[in-house]
Amino acid sequence: MNDRPDARELLGAARDAFTAEILPVLPEALRYTGLMIANALAIAQREIEAGDASARAEHARLCRLFSGAPEALAGEALYGALAVYNQRLSHDIRVGRFDGRERAALLEHLRRTTEEKLAVSNPKALHGR
Amino acid sequence: MEPATRQRLAAFITRAGGARNTAIVALERMGGGAVQENWALDVDFDGEPRRWVLRTDARGAVRESLTRAQEFAVLKVAYAANVFAPEPLYLCEDLAVTGRQFFIMRRLPGIAAGHRVTRNSNLVPEPARLARELAANLARLHEIRPPPLDFLKTMRARDNIAHYRAYLNTLPRAYPVLEWGLRWCEINAPAREDITFIHRDYRTGNYLVHDGHLAGVLDWEFTAFGNPLEDIGWMCAKCWRFARPDLAVGGIANVEDFIPEYERASRRHVPQSDLDYWQVMAHVRWAVIALQQVERHLSGSEPSLELALTGHIIGRLELEILNLTGKA
Repeated sequence: MNDRPDARELLGAARDAFTAEILPVLPEALRYTGLMIANALAIAQREIEAGDASARAEHARLCRLFSGAPEALAGEALYGALAVYNQRLSHDIRVGRFDGRERAALLEHLRRTTEEKLAVSNPKALHGR
Repeated sequence: MEPATRQRLAAFITRAGGARNTAIVALERMGGGAVQENWALDVDFDGEPRRWVLRTDARGAVRESLTRAQEFAVLKVAYAANVFAPEPLYLCEDLAVTGRQFFIMRRLPGIAAGHRVTRNSNLVPEPARLARELAANLARLHEIRPPPLDFLKTMRARDNIAHYRAYLNTLPRAYPVLEWGLRWCEINAPAREDITFIHRDYRTGNYLVHDGHLAGVLDWEFTAFGNPLEDIGWMCAKCWRFARPDLAVGGIANVEDFIPEYERASRRHVPQSDLDYWQVMAHVRWAVIALQQVERHLSGSEPSLELALTGHIIGRLELEILNLTGKA
């Protein structure tokens, strides 16, 4: 176990210092790169804060969608199971399994998954800017 | 560019332009273009100043698009058809000159950057007029009947779907929202389609605005034969509105300023359902291109923060696909 500040706190401190002290004095030609760096740090910070809560929620929804027994997984097992489920989901969507009655349940799942992803990668897009 | 390369470039221009003597006054990389590089090229041409652009392949670029020679041929046809575009001048396929294929075109005045065009009302004082110019110009582009461009592929709605699915098949990860978007496009695919010459990247950020008017359309590398409404959907897709997501036509104007003028000039009807359809396809297509850009970073072939961050716009595109397809 590392000492504090931990990864999340270090990223936050680095981003604060970068946006407060470096970004304002960057020459115009480097401003775009500076903004990209600040954005990348913010995404990384939010990803660490979010932990695996959204992955667990996505997994639970997929279990329901495929009528599987809900399992409480974590770590690599969770992400491995998610990858397998999403391959299956993609295949089933492609062949039309969700065209009919199950379409609403599918769309609900996809919307939640997308919103959880955006909460990390681009929260502004969630709030309609 | 090294002095020796500049010398070879000057010699090429002298030859190609039939000049007695040319000198390169300035050569500077221009912004934009993850696939192609554009260089502002100022030349002293028999004592007269010329302002040109040299367009060449970027290093490590994925070859989805046309070669420079093909793009040059397309640009010639478009320019001859009075579509607003930079005049193509010289093509160089000899790799001994700069090491890469390139062509030279006239440099048009104006601003292309999407964030500026959509934010700065001084640049576009009459946005509805600009939208009409874009519509009329697009109608003209769709009228091009070019027999010599037989290298262009034909991309109907179903060809697009097959193409994107084939790409998704190559990826280790699955993208269920994109699969849903493609399935929706398959179910709702038009029964019959007009097939014309299409630009496939006709959007804000890819045209120059000068004195508030359309000065020229850039980036002809994705042209193909296909459904002309694909260009309309691309122009109106939410992902290309930059600072003004509320303005459907490229963040500058409303559809009422664009569609009727296109319909008038092209004598082609654009039903709302087709506009919706091609907007869904536009978001799927942009997501697939974004995945390809991320792959360039992830594979290590071209490490770049910009390419890496492209991966994080995919969620926004997926949300829009869900919004557009969740209606009915």
